[in-house]
Amino acid sequence: MNRRQFAAITSGLIVTFTTGCALPVIPKRPKPEYADGLSWIRFAEGRYTLFIPRVEMGQNILTALKQIACEELTIEWHLLNVKIASTADIVRVRATVGSESIKDFALPLAQACATLREAILMGLTQKRLEAKALPVSELRSFKANGKFVGRTVVIEQGNAIVTGQPLYVGDVRRKGMVYGRVLRANASPELESTLVSFNEAAAKAVPGFVSIVRSRLLLLANSEGIGIVASTPGALDRIELALVPVWKTVGAFNQIEIDRSIDIDRRFDLSPSLMKKVHSDSVDKNSQWDVDLRFDIPLAAHAPIQPRASVAEFSNDGVLQIWVGTQDVFYQRDVISKRMGIDEASIIVHGTRVGGAFGGKTICTVELEAAVLAKEAQMPVKVQWTRAQEFQFGFHRPPSSHRVRVSLSEGRLNTWWHGFSSSHILFTNAIVPAWLQKITNLVGDDGVARGASLLYNAKVRRTEFDLVRIPIFTGPWRGLGAGANGLVIESAIDECALFAKTDPIEFRLQHLDDPRLIRVLKRVAVTSQWGFKAAAEALPNATIIRGRGVACGVYKGMSYVAVVADVEMLKESGAIRVTKIWCVHDCGIVINPDQVKAQCEGNLVWGISMVFSDLLPVGKSKVAASTFGDSPIPLFAEIPPMEIDLIDAGEPPSGAGETAIVAAGAAIANAIRAATGIRVQRFPIKASSFGRQVA
Amino acid sequence: MKLQINGVVAEVPTGWQNETLLSVLREQIGLVGTKYGCGEGLCGACTVLIDGVAQRSCLLEVRTLASKAITTIEGLANGGKLHSVQQAWIDEAVPQCGYCQAGQIMSTVALLKVIRKPTDAQIDEALAGNLCRCGTHQRIRCAVRRVAEIV
Repeated sequence: MNRRQFAAITSGLIVTFTTGCALPVIPKRPKPEYADGLSWIRFAEGRYTLFIPRVEMGQNILTALKQIACEELTIEWHLLNVKIASTADIVRVRATVGSESIKDFALPLAQACATLREAILMGLTQKRLEAKALPVSELRSFKANGKFVGRTVVIEQGNAIVTGQPLYVGDVRRKGMVYGRVLRANASPELESTLVSFNEAAAKAVPGFVSIVRSRLLLLANSEGIGIVASTPGALDRIELALVPVWKTVGAFNQIEIDRSIDIDRRFDLSPSLMKKVHSDSVDKNSQWDVDLRFDIPLAAHAPIQPRASVAEFSNDGVLQIWVGTQDVFYQRDVISKRMGIDEASIIVHGTRVGGAFGGKTICTVELEAAVLAKEAQMPVKVQWTRAQEFQFGFHRPPSSHRVRVSLSEGRLNTWWHGFSSSHILFTNAIVPAWLQKITNLVGDDGVARGASLLYNAKVRRTEFDLVRIPIFTGPWRGLGAGANGLVIESAIDECALFAKTDPIEFRLQHLDDPRLIRVLKRVAVTSQWGFKAAAEALPNATIIRGRGVACGVYKGMSYVAVVADVEMLKESGAIRVTKIWCVHDCGIVINPDQVKAQCEGNLVWGISMVFSDLLPVGKSKVAASTFGDSPIPLFAEIPPMEIDLIDAGEPPSGAGETAIVAAGAAIANAIRAATGIRVQRFPIKASSFGRQVA
Repeated sequence: MKLQINGVVAEVPTGWQNETLLSVLREQIGLVGTKYGCGEGLCGACTVLIDGVAQRSCLLEVRTLASKAITTIEGLANGGKLHSVQQAWIDEAVPQCGYCQAGQIMSTVALLKVIRKPTDAQIDEALAGNLCRCGTHQRIRCAVRRVAEIV
């Protein structure tokens, strides 16, 4: 067997192999084409049905795509029935990731709808249609002043949400359904763990016991699993207690070892040149640096309020129906088909509305558990992960460690040198084994590199990074690397502006060429009345000190954002909070302004979270968090009023789901710097006592 | 044993009497609007009203609730007419993923019973136990204010 026939190309990794041995299932990423659009839209008996080719997880994409379809079809809102697609409904589409649902799916959807509209006008009723690749200029849904596009409409499924109708995977109930859970060693699944013993008799004596499932298919990475099945959810807890499984785990690690392996200064000690280059100018490492900053951003959970769940049911003819709440229904089918040896045609994966995903629900975990338990128990099974399982067996935002060194001359950036290390994102250790990562490392990791490219003009630019496998699973998290990289770069640029004694907006404008980035920056200066209140207010005898910060960024070269934040600190307690945020956002043509604003609001809250909350502790060879108390997310009192301003100057529509996160955290950190004189370098900070900690 | 849920009496079979209210509501009765988020009373997704007071159904043993009036998200609307809080949630386009919103709505209904026109600080305090990861806080505040103004 030869596992190592690989060809690396610049745009990605092509993996070829002679046998399908221990290789992970890699998500397929077909680009949606016009012809695909026809499998999304159907017309029968006077009614239209739109099978949404994206996963709905809070971006209200059902609403936006319905707006496009109704506009293009030129029909009333109520005539179009929107359905969340199963794998049986549409041709394969790629995962809902990367803020590309409008950017890449609006056009083929509009083209398919335009074709359908014209066919119906011509009196055709019984024909499979070939989609016509109409140019944007001939489409009704890409024009300003539409009936639906560009307007605020009542969100799809809104009524069902506020009345508690079944929408999510955990809401699925099947006749004769029982409840399952897979127990594992309380250790990171990166470590090999095996079951040594368990008390089967005691488990069987618990009322509601249905069965114990032992299957090698329950292996999650290197973590053996034992399944328990019960007639009620509460019985699972009692069976787990009675079963007393004893585990043997090989290896051990703690937080300090992870911190040490990521530590950027240590990486530079190990090698003067890091593994991958974003900008590859050579720098004189003995220069006098005008700004020299170290930043550390820790492991963090996605923390969706919905922990993952799945329901699986085999019919008598062996067809597996499985309900999932993930970002890629087709990937679930691929993995389950391969792992369980079931023909793809005998698996139907039903998508459901997802209760928050943020990049975390992109792999197959609970779904395989449900399928295996359903097969072994021969009953429909629901598996609902606990919050503790969600922390322990999901993957997380990687920790990253950054060193930024800058020299300036005459107030302008001269040399910019940013080195950082991070664990993997796209080539996540949750599915890519260590031996394969050695090969993927040759390609790099575009997720880690995202947002690392310097937007500002500098004479010499060097940005380089190391990829470090850590024994906790890490992968895509809202914005991927762009969240952390934006926080670092925009903090450092702020420090450069201070060094240059130049207003931070002016300093940025002096170093930018991109007209769309310049436009959002100039606009946020207006909406926030920047010049008016830019300086920290040092009122005499004040009990409160205030500060204002700005940051900006571009996400994936397609969407632009500038953010201004105000903070205040109570002198006595040292408590710091954000009091107001302004955001200007440009994602081209806006399909649904209100929901683009909602995405901005969400991203700004994530910025607050990055500065004040996001931290997932590690200890005793595992994620040392099992509740929201161990890894908190922001509360209402931490969320200030936010003003969002959208720019739509007719550029092609891009994405809004992860844009503002590239600037939100840094705007707050820069406001803290303005208020207190302190540059936050280790995130997150403790809001309730920040001033005292640093005093 | 019997429960009184949304004004209707529901029989809880023997095998379900050792369960939490949350699991009986969702799995035995089929009122799935109340959500599981953490099982520890820390996220608020499972909030219901017990005799009008917001409580975490994931922490309540169903056998202790025989004489209580239980209200869930499904019991707020009056026939086809949405409760003013539900309507405000739609008018302000509050939900993103929507998963926490039943809990947010139930906590708001309980708040507005006690304080008719809450200040922002009172809203923040009343909803401090209801987490939202999508970042709908600002819209929730707007929706609460909207109800307070019209009721």
